[in-house]
Amino acid sequence: MSTVELHTLTGAYALGALTGREAAEFARHLDRCEACTQEVRELQETAARLALAVAEVPPAALRTRVMAALPEVRQLPPAEHAANVVPMRRRMRHRLPYLAAAACLVAAAVAGGYAVQARQDADAQRDRGVRAEQQAAAVSALLAAPDATFHTTALKGGGSGTVVASERQGRTAFLYHGLPALPGGRVYELWYSRDGSMVPAGLVETGRSSGAMLLTGGPRGADGVGITAEPPGGSSRPTSAPLGLLGV
Amino acid sequence: MPVAARRGDRSSAPHSGALESLLDRVSRGDQQAFESLYTAVAGTVLGLVRRVVRDPAQSEEVAQEVLIEVWRSAARFDPRQGSAMAWIMTMTHRRAVDRVRSAQAAADRDHRAAVHGYTAAFDEVSEQVERRLEREQVRRCLGQLTELQRESVTLAYYRGYTYRETADLLGTALGTVKTRLRDGLIRLRDCLGVSA
Ligand SMILES: [Zn+2]
Repeated sequence: MSTVELHTLTGAYALGALTGREAAEFARHLDRCEACTQEVRELQETAARLALAVAEVPPAALRTRVMAALPEVRQLPPAEHAANVVPMRRRMRHRLPYLAAAACLVAAAVAGGYAVQARQDADAQRDRGVRAEQQAAAVSALLAAPDATFHTTALKGGGSGTVVASERQGRTAFLYHGLPALPGGRVYELWYSRDGSMVPAGLVETGRSSGAMLLTGGPRGADGVGITAEPPGGSSRPTSAPLGLLGV
Repeated sequence: MPVAARRGDRSSAPHSGALESLLDRVSRGDQQAFESLYTAVAGTVLGLVRRVVRDPAQSEEVAQEVLIEVWRSAARFDPRQGSAMAWIMTMTHRRAVDRVRSAQAAADRDHRAAVHGYTAAFDEVSEQVERRLEREQVRRCLGQLTELQRESVTLAYYRGYTYRETADLLGTALGTVKTRLRDGLIRLRDCLGVSA
């Protein structure tokens, strides 16, 4: 299964609706894809709420049997003691989750991009390819910046977005995952919130549900980034309620 | 439209609620902590197993295995990966599904009957449910899903069907069910205000 297809399995995985082999394959994908990992976490929390809603009063005999069994059961040690390699790897993953997410998103964006580009003429293809590569390189550099800040939110209407900003580099990136297509040619537009007003900061490329982009202008003086759905071509001021608001 | 202070920010900090600290004590062999944890989760564990396994005696058996497994593997819970409740319920669902997906159980299940029974999967919730508010909220949010989203989610979660089986039952393309499970859950997540 391709990486792009794998991204759509978060729901089935969180609901336990994959077979053993598929679940194992997706679990390996989760090791490499922080965006899916985060989404699976949220969806597993959601599934737990479905479980809470069907709670029953358990018979007293169940408690008796469970408690009686405990003395016979040997408790597992923490995973860290079981294998010395694990803690290091976990620390790394914890420290660098968004770097992994970016690598995953950029890979997905590039894969999706190639499919579209294959149908277009050579010049446009080269331009777009170069632009996408430059953006990807800039985003990677931004993620590695020591002062980079990260804020992630689920967007109303679906999908999630992460804002990565570095004052030192004077750049902000927007990473997105699972954005639904908007009806009527509407586009996703990003905004900086500065001194209580919203300043346009770029449009998300249409027809792309996952990817990474740089915002127009740097984060200095901004107290947040917003995303809205706007008419084709974008607007100079927001015309609808924000789908998401993130700090910088 | 100024940006409100980081509402909906999902940058994940370790979960540190009551259940999480109980699990931590349980991992160090504290039986009293386990008693409390049992009181908090046993009804939910049993309720979920019952949806999936159906047979009351087998359901109690599976619930018992799950609760003992919580005691056994409490030290493996990582609060950075999610809440204690989600950890326990994921384990519960997996065990319940293992039970019904074993060859014998699969042969016993009549898919055709299940098609007619699935709408009841949520409605037949027992009157003794303790968490009435929770139930009401989940019911309301399930009501906001499209029919296909709701059917897919409840068949997969409450009945333990794979997404292939779910697609078969609903007469829908595999890819569609995959997508409905995901966007249905996302809509539920937002309706319930779940964060991780
Ligand atoms: Zn992924």
